[in-house]
Amino acid sequence: MPEYVIVALVKIALLIGGLMTAAAYFVLLERWMAAWIQDRKGPNRVGIPLTKIKLFGLGQPLADGVKFILKEEYTPGHVDKFLYSLAPISILAAALASFAVVPVGDRLPAIFGYGPFDLTAAPGIDVGMIYVFALSSIAVYGVILGGWASNNKYSFLGGLRSSAQLIAYELPMGLGILGIVLASGSLRLETIINAQASSGLWNVFWQPIGFVVFVIAAFAEAARLPFDLPEAEQELIGGYHTEYSGLRLLMYLVAEFLHMIMAAFLIVILFLGGWHFWGLTGDATGEITWGQAILRHIILMSKITGVILFFMLVRWSWPRFRFDQLMALAWKVMLPLGMVNLVVIAVLVEFQPQLIERAGGRGMASLLMIGASWLIGIICWAAVAWASPLGTDNRPVYGKIGAME
Amino acid sequence: MKSDDPDITWVEEPKLGLTGRMYLPLLVQGLTTTARHLISPKVTVSFPEERPQIGNPLIYRGVHRLNKDAEGRVKCVACFLCATACPAHCIDIIAAESPWPDREKYPESFVIDELRCIFCGMCEEACPVDAVELTSLMDLTGRSREEMIFDKEKLLSVYDMTKDAEPMKSIALGGTV
Amino acid sequence: MSFSERVTYVLSHPGWPFALVALLGAAGMFLLLPRGARGGRRVGGMLAVAAFVLLGAKLPHLTGLREGVFAMLATVTVVSAVGSVTFRSPVYCAIWFALTLAGTAGLFMFQGAQFLGVATIVVYAGAILVTMLFVLMLAQPQGLSTYDRVSWEPLLGAGVGGLLVGLLTHLLRSSLATADAGFAAAKPMTENAVLVNEHVAGLGAQLFSKHLIAVEAGGSLLLVAVVAAVAITSQGVPKRQGGRYE
Repeated sequence: MPEYVIVALVKIALLIGGLMTAAAYFVLLERWMAAWIQDRKGPNRVGIPLTKIKLFGLGQPLADGVKFILKEEYTPGHVDKFLYSLAPISILAAALASFAVVPVGDRLPAIFGYGPFDLTAAPGIDVGMIYVFALSSIAVYGVILGGWASNNKYSFLGGLRSSAQLIAYELPMGLGILGIVLASGSLRLETIINAQASSGLWNVFWQPIGFVVFVIAAFAEAARLPFDLPEAEQELIGGYHTEYSGLRLLMYLVAEFLHMIMAAFLIVILFLGGWHFWGLTGDATGEITWGQAILRHIILMSKITGVILFFMLVRWSWPRFRFDQLMALAWKVMLPLGMVNLVVIAVLVEFQPQLIERAGGRGMASLLMIGASWLIGIICWAAVAWASPLGTDNRPVYGKIGAME
Repeated sequence: MKSDDPDITWVEEPKLGLTGRMYLPLLVQGLTTTARHLISPKVTVSFPEERPQIGNPLIYRGVHRLNKDAEGRVKCVACFLCATACPAHCIDIIAAESPWPDREKYPESFVIDELRCIFCGMCEEACPVDAVELTSLMDLTGRSREEMIFDKEKLLSVYDMTKDAEPMKSIALGGTV
Repeated sequence: MSFSERVTYVLSHPGWPFALVALLGAAGMFLLLPRGARGGRRVGGMLAVAAFVLLGAKLPHLTGLREGVFAMLATVTVVSAVGSVTFRSPVYCAIWFALTLAGTAGLFMFQGAQFLGVATIVVYAGAILVTMLFVLMLAQPQGLSTYDRVSWEPLLGAGVGGLLVGLLTHLLRSSLATADAGFAAAKPMTENAVLVNEHVAGLGAQLFSKHLIAVEAGGSLLLVAVVAAVAITSQGVPKRQGGRYE
């Protein structure tokens, strides 16, 4: 077997193992966060099995997993059996496969003359960003097929809502990253990180509109609150996975967490500098030492955990959007803002060399770029607020206020 | 009801200023609320290790007990008022001729099915001699249904167990006895 | 030329297996298509498989790992394409079509056209087909309407399809002989050559230099279409008097 095949297989095994463990522990973290925000303590009983050691409840994912496996996997009699089984498989497969192009660090130095190794399962795929998009659009199939095959009205409504939502928010998501692609000249995630690391200027600082658009779209794509309409519990029981149980339900839930992890990865890599941190991670190009490699990995992971904590905090902070507001937000706010972002970034990138020349030095030019982009960002936001496209008047037309006075 | 019905009062939505429509104050408000609760003290009681605080044990409605009088006899006079008042029909009394001169009847058997009981306290209210009372014991468990059917001895032993911590309500609350 | 001479001429012609493939395939497809009449689908399936196996057997270069991957992708594409026209439930047809698109994307990737492959999935499987599924599910929650269960003109469709495949194969066959030599002589693409090239940058440079007018024209056309769609859908929506926040 050729060497690169073995390297790829080892990477895939590590990635899948790591992702599954991460998803399990993020479930625990989510439950903890939910509990803490509701002034509870959260799961803190399960520790090492068969002992009395509790370990703050860190054994909870194991118990959850055992419970899911031992649950009866019930297939209702009225479902389309083939699609009912296919849907959770396709969503989990797509969610896992999308991590193939995502770097989980920078790279490792050579071991015994082999290497250096990229910390990406499939390094050097030139269309990395679009690949992630493609697989996240495949995930829609899992949702819509699961909703349809369940032959249940709540599931079906959840599936319809989610397909509309995911298609609508893919557009602003794409527009949000266009600025990044313009600035770094590549769709490859490693190159995007390197561009930020070598300049030391994270994209979030000078692309605020793109950041806002992308983060909101990422929330919607991951179907997290305040955009969790596909499975709004109060309205749709469980949404598209109402009829699922046992391992199939587990697949859906894991895929959901993988989507959230993916969104966090993308936010960090595209906007928050990836593994870069000023004064700690060293030079982007050139040789890498073991210490640096591990430090970069840790920095990337802590940034991602931070973003995920923000995701979980937001879940309990803001109320859910109504469906018409969701669509209005996508088409009337996010899309125009994304366009503005694209134009602004294109202008800034085009005139960056002149700016550096005129302003005398990179630092000053960067400051000017940051100032200009934030100014435009604030103006755009105020313009959106002034137009208030999300404010809707639901009163019947003939029952207007003032008619009785 | 039509929407131009005179009984309908139309309420104007509060107007939002520009900052309100920019969402920022609302977003910050939501985040600060959750962040404050994130670090605020928790209200969970870790039950087996920690006992819950019961505000006033004298008015708590937990496991029943059958009170004894000063001579150690059961106070109950088998009047069936509690059994009649019980909405869950969980009290079963068999009355017999009293061996003591100060009353006509006494309960030969007094059984409360704790699994059927809804702990409403009606029996306690109905009792004319303050014989049946609800204690503050709240962690009532058993391994079988039979174990949870409390007979007279068991109810009396509950009294022995709790009489020091919880004096008879009749006295403590200024009752008749 | 006597009849037997003609028969021997035809049979000795190197193109006859491909004609047979086209014929078998067309017959199989005709039987497979949902025609309203019952029966024959199993025979049709066998005929189609036979045609496919025959075609595969006559194609060169189907040895080794690299060609094995190609053969697998091609089989997935062709089989799912057959599935997408022969299934009765429109939802299943759409799923099979999604698989066809995945196979096509795989074939693009196999040739090193990463962007095309991924864009196929994003645009067709991710957006267009999902929208179609959306409509299908809304229109017929049971997936069982009579007009969708019977295909239009199965005979004509299968015949034209067979003819098209036969003609294309015939044309390709003549060039395959020369390609054979070229294929052997060409330097095999290493994985590095596939991976290191800046595909997207190259594609973008091509699109915005050589094909600039086509790209701009396509863009304008789409813009006009979007404006038209907005204009059509906004007709007949009653206007509310006053503003949202009066």
